[in-house]
Amino acid sequence: MSIKVDARGQACPLPVINTKKALESIDEGVVEVRVDDLAPKENVIKFAKSINCQAEIISENGMDVTIKITKSKDTKIDIKDEDIKCDISSDNSYIVAIMSNKLGNGNEELGHVLIKSYLFALTETNPLPKSILFLNGGVELTTINNATVENIKILEEKGVEILSCGTCLDYYELKQALKVGSITNMYTIIEKMNDCSKVITLG
Amino acid sequence: MDNFYVVSFNSTHHAIRTEKLLEKNGITITTMPTPREIAASCGLSIKFDISQIDQINKIMKENSLERRGIFKIVRDDQENRKAIKIED
Repeated sequence: MSIKVDARGQACPLPVINTKKALESIDEGVVEVRVDDLAPKENVIKFAKSINCQAEIISENGMDVTIKITKSKDTKIDIKDEDIKCDISSDNSYIVAIMSNKLGNGNEELGHVLIKSYLFALTETNPLPKSILFLNGGVELTTINNATVENIKILEEKGVEILSCGTCLDYYELKQALKVGSITNMYTIIEKMNDCSKVITLG
Repeated sequence: MDNFYVVSFNSTHHAIRTEKLLEKNGITITTMPTPREIAASCGLSIKFDISQIDQINKIMKENSLERRGIFKIVRDDQENRKAIKIED
């Protein structure tokens, strides 16, 4: 007896939940799960092993992978659907929000050096953030701070979206001084933050 | 990034003082974290154009600024970076 689960196109944790349901519907036997992305593949295999089932890949065509899971009589599944988490996420995208013209609290001079140092190091990082948002005093970094402007330009060239808060540029009278990226408003900032699974806030 | 040169520091204070003095003298530099190839610890380095090395040495000497050394950061065929000390 073999049950087939087609989890192609499904985002985690759905492939794992559907695998679990199929395994629960039989006392023993084989469940074949077909996935089409790296994260579901890893997560399904991990799940199968965590409940002491045998898991092996029986066909692999690029990302299109079929995993054969063998359930024996003494396999116990005592994890609830809502407890199934995806340890391996296919979405490692992130955005950075910079709230100040310096990094951290403490000595101001050091804070200026650290933010410069951070933006330099970020240019050599992989993966790069999807966007960098500059708010409040952070807008100095995209306008009058030549050292940071240079590194932010490198980030922009590498495909990172650079956005400075318009209200903030206006408040500090720096709108005309913008040297890199574009001007944005709070609605866009909220959308950017909500759309991304990880926001790193600095300031 | 291609090969480049840095002055690397043990002291953050000396790094910041050097940065200010070099900028005051119109030398174009970039302050950056010390490359891992030089030291694993958290430190600062100043990236500079090799044509400015004499002037940088002069300014640092006149102001008794201490440093770990001047390093050339190079990439080999496998894209691995390596630091070569060229001056103390």
